[in-house]
Amino acid sequence: MILKRTILLIILISSLTSLAVFIAPRLQEQANITPPQTVYADSKDNNSIVIPCPNEHPEWRVAQVIDSVTIEAAPACEPDNPYDIATSVKGTNNVSMATLMQTNLAQDALTMTDDLDHDGDPDVIHIKLEVIELNGGTPDGNFLINTFDIAPGIQPGLWVYAPKSRGMALKNFNSVVANPMLRAPSPVIRVEQGDKVYITLENTHYLPHTIHLHGVDHPWLTSKGEDNDGMEEHAVFPGKSHTYEIKPRHAGTMLYHCHVQTAQHFMMGLAGMFIVEENQPNNWLQTFNIGAGQVRHPSSTVKNSYSQEYDLHYQSVDKKLAKIIQDANDPRLVAEHMSRDYNMTESFENYFLLNGHSFPYTLRDAMIIASDNEDIKLHVANLQRSAVAIHIHGHKATITALDGVDQPTAIQITRDVFDIAPAQRTDLHLLTKNDGLHSYGPGLWMFHDHTATGTTTDGLEPGGNMAILAYKQLLDEQGMPKMHDELFDQIFNKNYYAKKMAIWGEGTFAPLLGDAGLLTPNYSRVILFGLTIGLIIGLLLLVVLAYKRNQKQ
Amino acid sequence: MKALLLVLSLLGASHPASAMNHGGMMMDEKGMIMNANNDKLPSDCQKISENVDITIHAGQKHAFKFTGKMFAFDNQEWNVKPCAKINITFINDDQIRHQLMIHGLPGYLYPEGMFHLELNGEGQLQASLIMPSQKKTYLVHCELPQHMEKGMKAQLKVDGGDGDLPSIPGLTKPIKADTYYVNWTQLSLSVLVFSALLGCAIPFFIILNSTRIKDFYTQMLNKINSKKCAEKTKVSTLPDQDNSCK
Repeated sequence: MILKRTILLIILISSLTSLAVFIAPRLQEQANITPPQTVYADSKDNNSIVIPCPNEHPEWRVAQVIDSVTIEAAPACEPDNPYDIATSVKGTNNVSMATLMQTNLAQDALTMTDDLDHDGDPDVIHIKLEVIELNGGTPDGNFLINTFDIAPGIQPGLWVYAPKSRGMALKNFNSVVANPMLRAPSPVIRVEQGDKVYITLENTHYLPHTIHLHGVDHPWLTSKGEDNDGMEEHAVFPGKSHTYEIKPRHAGTMLYHCHVQTAQHFMMGLAGMFIVEENQPNNWLQTFNIGAGQVRHPSSTVKNSYSQEYDLHYQSVDKKLAKIIQDANDPRLVAEHMSRDYNMTESFENYFLLNGHSFPYTLRDAMIIASDNEDIKLHVANLQRSAVAIHIHGHKATITALDGVDQPTAIQITRDVFDIAPAQRTDLHLLTKNDGLHSYGPGLWMFHDHTATGTTTDGLEPGGNMAILAYKQLLDEQGMPKMHDELFDQIFNKNYYAKKMAIWGEGTFAPLLGDAGLLTPNYSRVILFGLTIGLIIGLLLLVVLAYKRNQKQ
Repeated sequence: MKALLLVLSLLGASHPASAMNHGGMMMDEKGMIMNANNDKLPSDCQKISENVDITIHAGQKHAFKFTGKMFAFDNQEWNVKPCAKINITFINDDQIRHQLMIHGLPGYLYPEGMFHLELNGEGQLQASLIMPSQKKTYLVHCELPQHMEKGMKAQLKVDGGDGDLPSIPGLTKPIKADTYYVNWTQLSLSVLVFSALLGCAIPFFIILNSTRIKDFYTQMLNKINSKKCAEKTKVSTLPDQDNSCK
């Protein structure tokens, strides 16, 4: 009798278990005839919306003369501070105090003296650079400090060289945002061929760094017999300074970068363009082009052949590397995580920057703004880890120099994709003549790295180093491209780059291409499953109790 | 001094509006002083209570006495009386820029509530300020990116201060502390195993001594009850309602 009952129970429990498995509700289920409704992201989330153009300094856009320095117009949304430019041209020692006060430059950031060759411009140049951490961590709470957004809501840890500054490193007292001079990329530095240039690295950072003058004519040792090549074994430690000396004999587009733990420090952003301009009479150069981009006070040589000049600095970031400085505060931990735990051979590039910004922020300060029939000089430097293939829509440009060496006119190549290996530089002549070869006419022509990853931000399009070659008539009064309102509404949004919004989540096709919603749980199934499971547990308990009672008897 | 005069004259001549902003500022190639105050009394002070001379060194080498830092001042805390006049000698021992900023001061004497000394490199500056009478702790730091974060942080207390600021080297805990691996050795592992075994033995101990534990428990209960009853009879003459004292 007991045996029979036991067998019956076993059969009952096992069949109930099979039933439970069969009717178990799943995390994902197949839809019925009607799949779930489309859901619409709350695009009215004001905290995530970013104004396309903050328009903080419209008065900086116009052409102007400051301290007798002529500064060309810059119609872009975020033009460079013209007082920075005037000071970069004349030096902190020659500019008026009123002008210097409109900048964040230290009084000894750039001294220009002694016209050695008597041609009307200073020839002894003292440049002082500091090392600045952007989007760094803090022990004082769960936030980042000296922030610099490369795209809406994207704040990777970065290191940059910056002209020696003074006063607050933050924008204001109630802000954690870095002041506008402290930004990516490291500034473009321009000096004249034959100038006696002293570049002092004042290491304000908590790790050792150097400056290596890549491609720039420099002796191996300084006049004092000290290191002049910026190699790892002559690192400048925190709180220390070191002066590198050059008198470059050759003009061209070169680089400077840190050569300590080079792979990591380079990728953190310690690399910039160093341009040696030909020696010309009365040639006052814009020593710093902060944030790269348009050169608003070009050299005499450039002005003779071109109507405009731009510096294009391509850079990439591995988010894992960038996060190291945000996660730990102890310099020992940062050093360990960066140099030993992090493995560059297993790294990725997640963010792609042009002049410190990823699309859509490239539209604020990294556009090329042209009129018809212009000759535009572009200095393109690839400071990424990987090669780039720069493509300008609607145009074919001509290579005039490679790695700072002029190409003879006869062998200059005109093409529409420029492959540039890491650390290489290409000087381009962009002609906006509507002849079907050099230009297909006015437009808002995109230009970007044609490598698949280059136009993405952590894999999401549109992003990366995408920017626009814009014809002036197609820009609004704030320097933003016209006819892009719908796109702007979508992408000037932190949620978009946090991947929380559907790519086609708005407009006519939103119901068909927006985000599919969730299935309603099948409640009859949920209840049935719950009952079955409960019954099994109850039966098992019963068995245990019965067994115990039998034992006692 | 020439440069200083130049600054002031230029500010006055060409930028009357900004001269207001930079009214309390002196700058030359060595560095700058903002909002120094030699003589203006805070409104809550009748007179200067004491003259305090403080020398503050800033530099990388002062971080050697701490772990996990890179920059520091030579001292992390100063105490002064209400309405004290502090004469600061700020010395930069490094070849780079450092600042000494004091925050939270009254805005009518110190624009933006800030007293600010900055040295472009090795050297020293002198400036004074007069503290209000309020019992308060003021933040003293270098605002260069990552200098405060890496240790250049201190506090100035007036009348004992109104608390401590976080993450001051050697003094206070950070809000967001770093994590480190724990040094697990054979000793700590054996302590762990021993404790675990001891834990296993606890139920057996209880079962074996159940009667004694029960006795002990009832005794304790009785003791507590009798104490309570004694108190109750002392405090009130009301009859004991729950009868537990009978």
